[in-house]
Amino acid sequence: MRLYEFEGKELFKKFKIPVSDSRLAKTTDEVFIAVNDLNCPVVLKSQVLIGGRGKAGGIKLADTPDQAKTLAKELFALKIKGYPVEEILIEPKLAIKKEFYIGVTIDRTNYKLVIIASGEGGVDIEETAAKHPEKIIKKSLSVEEPFYGFDALAMAKQIGIPTELIKSGAEIIVGLYNMFKKYDAKLVEINPLVLTADSKLIAADSRVSLDDDALFRHAELKGMGIEKRHEEGEMTPRESQATEWGIPYLDLDGDIGMFPGGAGFGIMGNDFIHYYGGKPANFMDSGGGPTPERLAQMLVLLDDNPQVKAIFGARFGGISRCDDFAKGVVIFLKNHGLSKPMVLRMTGNMWQEGVRIFEEAKKESPKLFEKIEFHGIETPIEEISKRAVELAARERGN
Amino acid sequence: MAILVDKRSNVMVQGITGGAGKFHTERMIAYGTHIVGGTSPGKGGATVSGKPVFDTVAECVKQTGADVSVVFLPAPAVKEAAIEAIRAGIKFLVVVPEHIPIHDMLYVREEAVRHGATVIGGNTAGIITPGEANLGIMPEIAFSPGRVGTVSRSGSITYYVADTLTRTGYGQTTCVGLGGDPVLGSTFDEILWKFEQDEKTKAVVMCGEIGGVYEERATSVIPKMKTPVLAMIGGIFAPPGKRMGHAGAIVEGTMGTAKEKLDLLAASGAHPCKTFRDIPEVLKKLGV
Repeated sequence: MRLYEFEGKELFKKFKIPVSDSRLAKTTDEVFIAVNDLNCPVVLKSQVLIGGRGKAGGIKLADTPDQAKTLAKELFALKIKGYPVEEILIEPKLAIKKEFYIGVTIDRTNYKLVIIASGEGGVDIEETAAKHPEKIIKKSLSVEEPFYGFDALAMAKQIGIPTELIKSGAEIIVGLYNMFKKYDAKLVEINPLVLTADSKLIAADSRVSLDDDALFRHAELKGMGIEKRHEEGEMTPRESQATEWGIPYLDLDGDIGMFPGGAGFGIMGNDFIHYYGGKPANFMDSGGGPTPERLAQMLVLLDDNPQVKAIFGARFGGISRCDDFAKGVVIFLKNHGLSKPMVLRMTGNMWQEGVRIFEEAKKESPKLFEKIEFHGIETPIEEISKRAVELAARERGN
Repeated sequence: MAILVDKRSNVMVQGITGGAGKFHTERMIAYGTHIVGGTSPGKGGATVSGKPVFDTVAECVKQTGADVSVVFLPAPAVKEAAIEAIRAGIKFLVVVPEHIPIHDMLYVREEAVRHGATVIGGNTAGIITPGEANLGIMPEIAFSPGRVGTVSRSGSITYYVADTLTRTGYGQTTCVGLGGDPVLGSTFDEILWKFEQDEKTKAVVMCGEIGGVYEERATSVIPKMKTPVLAMIGGIFAPPGKRMGHAGAIVEGTMGTAKEKLDLLAASGAHPCKTFRDIPEVLKKLGV
């Protein structure tokens, strides 16, 4: 999960990585007070969880507190790639002499950590890497290996940090690496690391991505307001509802509701619908052993979506058992009722029990089951995908 | 023959007394898997389904000759459990839990490499050699002994591929789940090479998905293989995936889309398949 720039910089401070004196503001009045506190000119930086905010007009320079107030008003009205600007970080404008890049991440091709540095900071570093790979310095380490100061010194020197500052430069690189290890990061970046006119090194931006799955061992982050959050992008109301219910869910623009079972078939099931000429209304992962109640909620998301014309459901019971699946569907039918045609295939672990649950519920109230077509292992999944596409077409009236 | 596990494997379960551990131990035994025991610290001396429970992996290995372990523990406990198993001499480890911290898996991988052990997972459905051994959570209804190997990042896809191979009479030698986590114990190239060395395996179906770099790694071994490889990649129509960020893009390139992955695999000699239904048709053409 991404951190905001100001959160990343709070962590930088813990590792003695120098950052500017700054203020965080939530209103234009707070911006005005902050600017009076700091010396003009200042930079107003929108705090959003996405890159490219500079190009989107999310960073402004102000020469006076009054101008800052006017610009802050514009920023608070801005949406950057769908993100509303809710907070602004205010920092004194730096007199920049040169910019560098430093980053640490995981190289999954060889299971190593990799420290990356470049004398070409502040720009699109991916472009530099693609066009001038010689300008990018990389040091790979196994997770168990120490990162020595002398290696950091060599890196600092190689990217052109002046001699009188290479000790500080090396300390910043080591600090960034230590922060990466300490907080189970997937990525930490300083871009740019600024060399100022008065010969100081300052981390002018932060980009930090942490591993959600390791948050349990960093309770202190919660004290700083850093908690698990949605990775990127603004959520639709249905996606927010799904997140609240703990369901991995994404709205798409088609009309077939997807209830496919497992993230892998969640992804591939979407492809199958396309192959047979249909378009999914959503992506959903219904694997990982959800409770019957959770499964029922998943169906509510689909049935309540007016865009959905037909529902495609599949369960290949592994850790997610067929009896739980059947219970979930039955709970949904009893509490909510199904308004769309649905085609289901169910097989795998505990399938006999699942079939029994369906048959019993159907005997009790056959009306609830009128819109459902059931299949087992005898019907290939391709047939089910095709049938869902047909049902949606029929509902659309063509 | 088979790869990694067969009826002679002495299998233990770490976390054998837990809910999932117990349930799936019973299933594995019912399948005929040679389960020799398990561990649950503080519960040494107990039994689960007639199998002895030990406090440590070292004791279990010493008393039962276990050489393979299946891990059913909460994600935060996996790093220590896996390292304990590898140091006690376990050569093949199946890590079922999901959401294991990425840094933890890097440590586990280091330990495995150092001891010549193989780890699959985390977040794997397991591994099955039909008719011989079933390790993990795979539903046996999909599988039958035969001549095609499978390796996949997704459990549900593994089931559908096996289902197709069973229905069309090909059956499977061994089906390996790599797991769905970002950093995995084993990769496509490593497992494909094990299949290449197995005489009974006449073809391998590999199924990948959008994101990550493990499919690309397979292109280094496919051209060297005599055994044909069929490739499926999920996510051809997925909305553009999330990127890890600048530094990630520098080391991993553009984090291939499904289409790019499939094209790369095809260029390296793999036979692309769109739906499961294409698999038997391609196998037939190849004379498998």
